Amino acid sequence: MNALATGSRPVLRVSRRRLVDLVGHAYVWLVLIVFVLPFLTLLVYSFTGPGGSYAVENFQYVLGSFGDNLSWSFRVSAVTLVINLAVALPAAYAIVRYPFPGKGLLYSLMTLPLYVPGAVIGISLVLVYNFTYHLTTSVWGLVFAMAMGTFPLMLTPIVVALKDLPVAFEEAAECLGATRWQTFWRVVFPLIGPGVSAGLMLCFVIVFNEYLVTLFVHPPSVTTAPLRVFNLVRTAGLAPTTAALAVTMQLISFAAILLFFRVFGTRYLKGTYLI
Amino acid sequence: MTAEPLGLSIPGIAAEVRRRERNRRLVGLALILPALLLVILFLYYPLTYIVQISFTAGNSFLSPKGPEYSIANYSAMFGRFLPNVLVTLQLAALSTLVNLLFGFPFAYVLVRKIRYRDIVRAFMVFPMFGALYIAFGMRFILLPGGPATPLLQAFGIDATSVLYSLPSVVFAMSIFTFPFMVMNVGAALSNVDPTLEEAAACLGAKPMQTFRRILLPLTRSGVIAGILMVFGWNIGTFAEPILLGSQNEQRALAWTLYQRGVVQSDYGISSAMSVVLLVVAFAVSYFALRYSRGALVQ
Repeated sequence: MNALATGSRPVLRVSRRRLVDLVGHAYVWLVLIVFVLPFLTLLVYSFTGPGGSYAVENFQYVLGSFGDNLSWSFRVSAVTLVINLAVALPAAYAIVRYPFPGKGLLYSLMTLPLYVPGAVIGISLVLVYNFTYHLTTSVWGLVFAMAMGTFPLMLTPIVVALKDLPVAFEEAAECLGATRWQTFWRVVFPLIGPGVSAGLMLCFVIVFNEYLVTLFVHPPSVTTAPLRVFNLVRTAGLAPTTAALAVTMQLISFAAILLFFRVFGTRYLKGTYLI
Repeated sequence: MTAEPLGLSIPGIAAEVRRRERNRRLVGLALILPALLLVILFLYYPLTYIVQISFTAGNSFLSPKGPEYSIANYSAMFGRFLPNVLVTLQLAALSTLVNLLFGFPFAYVLVRKIRYRDIVRAFMVFPMFGALYIAFGMRFILLPGGPATPLLQAFGIDATSVLYSLPSVVFAMSIFTFPFMVMNVGAALSNVDPTLEEAAACLGAKPMQTFRRILLPLTRSGVIAGILMVFGWNIGTFAEPILLGSQNEQRALAWTLYQRGVVQSDYGISSAMSVVLLVVAFAVSYFALRYSRGALVQ
């Protein structure tokens, strides 16, 4: 009996530790479910037809009636990505490879847009577009607002990737007679590919789903899909078709992120949004 | 022997090195110029413009006689609009508290116990798509007669009192910023050696003591950075108070400045509101970055 009692103690301790672990895992899953709950309920809701029946027509509505909004979202995102890349690539290269005065300060000034509340960016641009730049009726005002707000998300991963790249590759290319231009496009650019892709992915996801600054600066003729969702939820009440549009937007964004995870992993997203 | 084979004297080489160095600086500045122009034209100039407007009376900056400078907008901020400022700070503070209470244990389990972190990351990207979809989803869930109604009734809560209320706004805001807290705390926790906790346990410390004496002091900078970063994000909350809040929460500054500035064209007061938001957000983010330095971007 004595032997049994002493023998059972370690077993008890192990099972108690298991229990603590189990509670930990259960807690994490509970939080994660709460996280996706808004999305999941919208997903279910988007399939309900009139009278509680099952319906796919809501998604046909997304392509039909909301098709114009979706297409604006895609076009604005695409142009913004091009501008961001054209601006961030040389800037990142200069920050990592070239010496110039006040570099730390300039880099901070360029990443600051991330910390300005969206409504403040919105109202300041409304005023400037109205009274100085006269951009209120042009979609370019919207595009440049998006580019300014998200280009730090493009810059940071490229800077990280460039810092990880030894200078030896560029020196070797130059010793072998490559011009600077050739060195950049044939050697550096392919090697910082994952960083560039991380920047593209982050910017796409943010611009594609942006409604706040858009609400302030969009020209009357342009309504992007997230802005349409915002307007409909605020004024028209709830409708399965609106839910279908929101679900479509989130699924497209999620697909972009999953694709990135599969190809490059999470290394280059460190410090931007994800752990 | 001099440097004749190169065709240059020593002073010549020094001059050449200096010239190349100067060239490199110029090239560097030229490469950074487009980015600098983008932020100056679309961020820094507009911000100085609204700071200037916030110090003029009414819309006098538009009058041909020239602007009329006054601090009337700021005295209104601490008079008529004080409730708006306070409710904004209250919402941000409450959601930061919720994030801290739920985020610390989450980050701990994530860093110490979980091997399937990529799955967790995949779940955690959903808030990144924006507070709008979260608020929309919550609105549908909490609607009287919606999915949450049976659950709320089981706890004896009147379903109609939940949708437009402070807790539902804070809840949605917390979901939106939760990843920032987990990111900061998790980065700090992964720098703490697990053997320290084991040593504390071996020496007879209770879990609570280990947490207070070992974990919390060692992760302090990450926790502070997380608190400040979450607060800075939540200060500009926009969609959640509109879609989920009552009249009280809808006074949040970001929404009020939209109403005042864009809808009613009252530019002076909305500029003052955005300056207040800006100052709070910058101060908070500055200290957040100071505390999180090294832990996040390496």
